[in-house]
Amino acid sequence: MATVWIHAGLTEAGPEPVTFELLSAARSLGGTVEVVAFGPGASATGEDFGAHGASRVFACDEDAGPRAAARTLERLIHEHGPDLVLFATSYGGRDVAARLQARTGSTLMSNATAVTTFDRARTEILGGTRIVDVQFAGPTPRLVLMKPRSAEAQATADGPAAEVVRVDTEPSADLREPRLLSRQAQTSRGPSLDDARVVVAGGRGLGSAEGFAMLEALAGTIEGAAVGASRAAVDAGWRPYASQIGQTGRTVKPDVYLAVGISGALQHVVGMKGSRRVIAVNKDADAPIMRLADLGVVGDLAEVVPALTEEIRRRTGS
Amino acid sequence: MHRARERSALIRTARVDVERGGTDGRVGRELTQVLGQRKLFQKLTPGIMHAFIFWGFLILLPTIVEAMLAIVDPAWSLPVLGDSAAFVFAVDLFASLVIVGLGIAVWIRKVQRPDRFRGSHLGEADRILLTILGIVATLLLWNASRVALGTYPHPAAAPVSRALSGLFAGGDGTEIASRILVWSHVLIVLGFLAYLPGSKHLHILTAAPNVWLAKPGGSGRLVPLRLDLEGPEEDLRFGAATAADLSRKQTLDLFSCTECGRCQEVCPAWATGKPLSPKLLIMDLRDHVNAEAERVLSARAGGVVELQPLVPSAVDDEVVWDCVTCGACVRECPVDIEHVDTIVDLRRHLVMAESRFPAEAGGLLRGIEGPNENPWSQPAAARLEWTEGLDIPVLQPGDPAPEYLFWVGCAGAFDERARAATRSIARLLAATGTDFAILGPRERCTGDPARRMGHEYLFQQLAERNVEVLGEAGVTKIVASCAHCFNTLANEYPDFGGRYEVLHHTELLARLIKEGRLTPRPTAAGATATLHDPCYLGRHNGVFDAPRAIVSAATKANLEMPRNKERSFCCGAGGARMWMEELEGTPRINDTRFAEAAATGADVVATACPYCTVMLDDAAKSAGSDMRVADVATLLAESALPPLTVEP
Repeated sequence: MATVWIHAGLTEAGPEPVTFELLSAARSLGGTVEVVAFGPGASATGEDFGAHGASRVFACDEDAGPRAAARTLERLIHEHGPDLVLFATSYGGRDVAARLQARTGSTLMSNATAVTTFDRARTEILGGTRIVDVQFAGPTPRLVLMKPRSAEAQATADGPAAEVVRVDTEPSADLREPRLLSRQAQTSRGPSLDDARVVVAGGRGLGSAEGFAMLEALAGTIEGAAVGASRAAVDAGWRPYASQIGQTGRTVKPDVYLAVGISGALQHVVGMKGSRRVIAVNKDADAPIMRLADLGVVGDLAEVVPALTEEIRRRTGS
Repeated sequence: MHRARERSALIRTARVDVERGGTDGRVGRELTQVLGQRKLFQKLTPGIMHAFIFWGFLILLPTIVEAMLAIVDPAWSLPVLGDSAAFVFAVDLFASLVIVGLGIAVWIRKVQRPDRFRGSHLGEADRILLTILGIVATLLLWNASRVALGTYPHPAAAPVSRALSGLFAGGDGTEIASRILVWSHVLIVLGFLAYLPGSKHLHILTAAPNVWLAKPGGSGRLVPLRLDLEGPEEDLRFGAATAADLSRKQTLDLFSCTECGRCQEVCPAWATGKPLSPKLLIMDLRDHVNAEAERVLSARAGGVVELQPLVPSAVDDEVVWDCVTCGACVRECPVDIEHVDTIVDLRRHLVMAESRFPAEAGGLLRGIEGPNENPWSQPAAARLEWTEGLDIPVLQPGDPAPEYLFWVGCAGAFDERARAATRSIARLLAATGTDFAILGPRERCTGDPARRMGHEYLFQQLAERNVEVLGEAGVTKIVASCAHCFNTLANEYPDFGGRYEVLHHTELLARLIKEGRLTPRPTAAGATATLHDPCYLGRHNGVFDAPRAIVSAATKANLEMPRNKERSFCCGAGGARMWMEELEGTPRINDTRFAEAAATGADVVATACPYCTVMLDDAAKSAGSDMRVADVATLLAESALPPLTVEP
């Protein structure tokens, strides 16, 4: 029976969510589905992966780098001979897949949106306006990098826990191979601007970096809210460039965009016009943002924002 | 000898860009720029210095032949000139002027020490100056020795040589000295000729041809790429990837650079602390081409050779993207090096073949590529929003063409701050009964930002599409409110079959004032203004008087900035940089320019381009200034039209 493997990376928080999408995609092929998992807690994933259709997990608990992972995968491939290996298009996935391909010489396809059979996959080109069916050639295993969100993660109703087989990465004789010494995770409070449901953004009208404390407080009362800034605020040094929304910054599409002290110049608007609802707070009733806003509040933001924060707190009891 | 052959081979085998254009004005340019040294006089003292040396060199050329003849037989002399008192006088005069020029050069380099020489090879320059001194000194002394010997024709016409002849006692000693001098003279000249191809002094051979090959019609037009995918493959180029891709003019550019630094001095990027210097860019490319010369020649001859990519081997990515295409460098360059063309060619390869460009510019390209075909991805219908409350004729398919098609442009249609100008222009045209109409939703981006970014393919698609629409509508005259649209429609669309009489809005409005159809009341607006000349209107297209006429009519006075007209300092938005962040260097280009404007003490910064308006307005806000930034059309409307009772 044909076998498909999933490469899974683990972090402190557990397996990357995309792994479950890959498992669902793999299941649709029929055949045996197995996982090769790298990272702390790999050997404890039997139930989780089993619930998503894997029958076996090759678990390596070491926090190994991509070189070690590729070597180990190659060894396992020689031992077990799967037909297809799926990778997530993440930094880790691409790194390991590329190294593995160099070692095995098998075919590596990237940007796949679906795998239809063990030797056929699908991708999109020309900005998603054309779908291309790709036939694999060359020896097994075929390596495929799947685009994120190409399949939905679905648990099977009665998936038994997968059998866990511990594997070790062989130490490398190559003294130049880097060793992972430690991981530093940057703790960011709240969701990133790209994912946030609600974006509270401030502009020149806030007047100072301290003014943004008001917005942070407001965002703190709303679940899933992140704080952004217009170019003027970033230029003035009140917020980092990473939070800049607009033509030369990020484009966001939250459910609600709260523009505080932002005039609404075109260069800013192009970064947020996809928002479902726009609320503007500005002392100028003729500011361009007012035309775009679903709700415009004309007033002094130093009064409006704290009052809003207070009212939300009162209603949500937070 | 080897270097000479190599360099001439590099030029000879380089591809000729047939799309560069015709030959208008070339003879005139050779006369004024080469013979007349016009561009060198853009800086007076260095201009005088160089003119003396250059004219001296021309006049003294026959004396080199004379010296070579004299080595063989002192009795031989030049036909005609050999017996001419006028020529004797000219030699004396110009040899002295060369020495004066050399003196000025030494003063400039050793006393004044201008910053434009930063990065130039000063040692090499010193050696060249010394060599020229040697040539001229040996000539004068040789002539002087001949005066002493009585063998110099018309010594009365040679005061300097006569004065120097006192150094020689006459007789055998002087005979020997005379021989030594003539031999020294010839040897130094020959030595110089041998040194020439390897040095930057090669410009004496390459400058005149480089000026000849410069694009006619000015710096506003970029040379199109032949992107016909069905055509022969050799013709298909996506810009300059390696040294072998450089065209003949581009290669000649590299060998014409004298490292004078006039371009570096005026570059807005360099002035604000960024790594881009047009001089250093050309020097780096030159050094790279020389280093790769053998491989380049081999590749061009059909060999399979791997060449280094120009970016980043010769030039950093950042340097390529820092350019605002303002053309100040091209304007200053005495030998007509076209830096902007080369930078855009590098961008073309980076964008079209490698997709390697600042991430923020992605939005711009996506907007223009996408269904709405404008940089801000606004829906086409939104192009009519600015007309609210005004009765603006919109040209429908099938309508007869108006006298003027008012090309609004994307900024003018979508950007709040630019809309003020658009509305003003429309109101002014309507008030004078001018027959005009807009395309409205049928307008698309002219493609200028895509082209400046290097996405030539996208630009050509838009150009072809727009030319088709304008052709179907029967448009013959266009008035454009954006300096970039104006430049592209006037200078670049003809390459795609679009030939129209294109005016900038300032030109049309100035004409209406002159004809008396608009009567501005200068005191109504009350304020003093300082006019910022947009690069794409002024420097690239020579339109300086029209905006000034409007400012004079509509305001109390125009207080000129130090850097005005052709020397105007860019607002920083050109070269598609409107869509990129200035992540390095302070102060920003727009802040720098605004500071200059504010220093004039004027109440208003008058602009004539929406990019300038936005950039300078941002700068004003950043500086916390209450200086107003407004288009000249807005100022004119305020002073010539009754106020609108209801501004929507």
